[in-house]
Amino acid sequence: MAQKPPEHEITQLLAQWREGNQSALDDLYPLVYDELHRLARRYMSRERKGHTLQTTALINEAYVRLVDQKNVPWANRSHFFAISAQIMRRILIDHARRHQYAKRGGGARQVSLDEAATVVLPDQSGELLRLDEALKSLAEMDPRRSQVVELRYFGGLNNEEIAGVLRISENTVTRDWNMARAWLYQQLTGSGAN
Amino acid sequence: MTPERWQQISRIFKSAILLDNEARAAYVASQCGRDDSLRVEVEKLIDSHGKADADEFMHGVAAEAAAPLLTDDEARPDLLNKGQQFGSYIILDSLGSGGMGEVYLARDTRLDRTVALKALSPDISQDKRRMQRFRQEAKVVSSLNQPNILTVFEFGEVDGLNFLATEFIDGETLRDHLHNKRLKLSEIVDISIQVLAALDAAHEARIVHRDIKPENVMLRWRDGVVKVLDFGLAKLTEQKYSTLGHDSDPEAITEFRTAPGTIMGTINYMSPEQAQGGEIDERTDIWSTGVIMYEMVTGKMPFRGSTTSHTIVQILEKHPVPLTKLVKAPMELERIVMKAIAKKPRERYQAAKDMLADLRSVQKRLEMEAEFEQTSPLITPDEPGLAAKKKRVLVFAVVGMLLVTAAIFAVNIWRSSRSAINPSITTPAPVERTLTYWITVQKFKDNNPYQDPFTLAGEINFEAGYRIRVNVRSPQQGYLYILNEGPASGAPEYNIVFPTPSANKGSSLLQAGQIVQIPEKSWLRFDAQQGVEKLWLVFSENALPELDSLKQFASVQTGGLITDPLRNKAIKDYLDTQISKPEVEKGESLTTVKAAGQLLVYAIKLEHH
Repeated sequence: MAQKPPEHEITQLLAQWREGNQSALDDLYPLVYDELHRLARRYMSRERKGHTLQTTALINEAYVRLVDQKNVPWANRSHFFAISAQIMRRILIDHARRHQYAKRGGGARQVSLDEAATVVLPDQSGELLRLDEALKSLAEMDPRRSQVVELRYFGGLNNEEIAGVLRISENTVTRDWNMARAWLYQQLTGSGAN
Repeated sequence: MTPERWQQISRIFKSAILLDNEARAAYVASQCGRDDSLRVEVEKLIDSHGKADADEFMHGVAAEAAAPLLTDDEARPDLLNKGQQFGSYIILDSLGSGGMGEVYLARDTRLDRTVALKALSPDISQDKRRMQRFRQEAKVVSSLNQPNILTVFEFGEVDGLNFLATEFIDGETLRDHLHNKRLKLSEIVDISIQVLAALDAAHEARIVHRDIKPENVMLRWRDGVVKVLDFGLAKLTEQKYSTLGHDSDPEAITEFRTAPGTIMGTINYMSPEQAQGGEIDERTDIWSTGVIMYEMVTGKMPFRGSTTSHTIVQILEKHPVPLTKLVKAPMELERIVMKAIAKKPRERYQAAKDMLADLRSVQKRLEMEAEFEQTSPLITPDEPGLAAKKKRVLVFAVVGMLLVTAAIFAVNIWRSSRSAINPSITTPAPVERTLTYWITVQKFKDNNPYQDPFTLAGEINFEAGYRIRVNVRSPQQGYLYILNEGPASGAPEYNIVFPTPSANKGSSLLQAGQIVQIPEKSWLRFDAQQGVEKLWLVFSENALPELDSLKQFASVQTGGLITDPLRNKAIKDYLDTQISKPEVEKGESLTTVKAAGQLLVYAIKLEHH
């Protein structure tokens, strides 16, 4: 049983990542992932079914736990939120995937276009996985818009916070969101042109 | 779609959606010119925009939408299904599930042999480095070709699902084998010897099992051969960072991640160093083997409390009743078991080999005395009845569901409160408010917890580097508010520390006997400057709206600091006028504060240098 990585290690990794060291992100990822996953579990088990998971509260808590806050400039905090949004995405996708394994073999259920059109809220594992895929395609065309979606939808950040993280104006965030969401809707409901 | 096309669409889209229908059509037409396909795409997107709004598409956040996925404990799906083709395997049957994943009986179609296939839950196989390490260990252990170690055939991945194919043992676990029956001494010794033989080989290869328990020991029907399962697997599920009483919340300690809805085996076989989140080596396996032996011989687990925290206290402190006081057993066997479960690793057997040698000589003696052993009852008459045993199994299951770590933490609270419970239950005078508090201290060095946390009845002069939590409890129900006042150089500023949205679910109502811990998830730290921090406790029979409204300032970013000078002034005035003259009684493990009336206002002074 190893020791918890010291707060300053994470703080340093955040700083290194901000300075463009991509391998710092690789080291950071599992640490934050574990923490968020654990917290998500706990939050979810605490809440009764149907209650909502406060994503930002969760990320805040992870942040407080993991980062030595005395030495963290605001920019690092933004980065933390950005990475957390990514990780939340992964956690949820993992869960969705797990549910999909279950469906397989037991008579795999294909979602028909008609059905998909009526199930627009990605509240099912399949929908969530498809959203994830669509978001990946979006990232290829337009990384920033996909990031806006990630931060807002998976990270639970509001527009002002997203603007801070991406260093763009709030108006731009709103516009990006509108466009990205319309496109994702199209992809998920199968009404897209492509 | 090319990025250029995409940008083109997006440029028209973003302006178009701001216009009303008529203007929009004209605008889109003017922007697209003769490029009809562009116009169609823009129009489709605008249409989707409207529909997405109407459908509240992605209205909340993903976690909300996915909440059922995360909470769907009872309906936790199987990873694989009967009859399913999985890589080159066909799933024949489900054999059970555990914290690590699910186990299936499967047919390997390439080699036409039956295997046990353990599918690891996606969430535990997430960490690539840990998986890699586990893979290596599994390989090493398997290559030892030790007959008591379960052979691993393959470690693979199909469709992103990690699995382990091992030899299939047609038998039962030692847990099932022990169920409702007591074993003969010779059998106990035989099983123990085989377990130790497996451990000896693994330890030689520098691999520690870390989770030896009856569930991980299989007995083959056919010939009684013992197989030890899951070498190194425990490592996969251990939190990578875990420290007793570390910053934040209790569950950070040695948490075993379990898939939702599964019952994680048990803490009853955990060594003291494991329970404390310390360094683990081969001697942890020796301990666990000793615990199993004790259970096999006496039918009782040596360390088993009514709650997980009680169990952990027992692991750390209790000296179990010697075997021979409970049952008829050779003194030599007692000596071996007790040595294996010595609290300090250095007082145990240092190697499985040594314990093995001692057990072999017991075995020899038993063989000679075989006739006698077979005819005399092993168990003393005070053997627990079946009903008691059933109940124990239930308690065991419930205990297992709790996170191990929460428990370790809770030990502190329990330790400090157990002496508190009785005195404070005494009926309070009719109109009087009573609060008790004690302080948990964790030393920190270079931002890392250093030594074990300890508790104090009250205030001392705290050193820099100490971080503390204050625990408050009352035998009465009432409304509790806690404010922190920093060392005053000018007008005081207050931080609201209780209630907060996360502590007590944002409610100021304290139930009789409820313990609140301030702060709930982190520690109060002292800054380098010398001074006196005040922690104001306000405990009232009725809710105090003026203090309740301070909840809004509670936030992790600000630490609940109230910056508005007028408000701070109002708080100061309130506290100054309402302050009680309480009766303060400093006990050995906690301080009791009592005040007449319906309101108690008291400041804990935390001096530091």
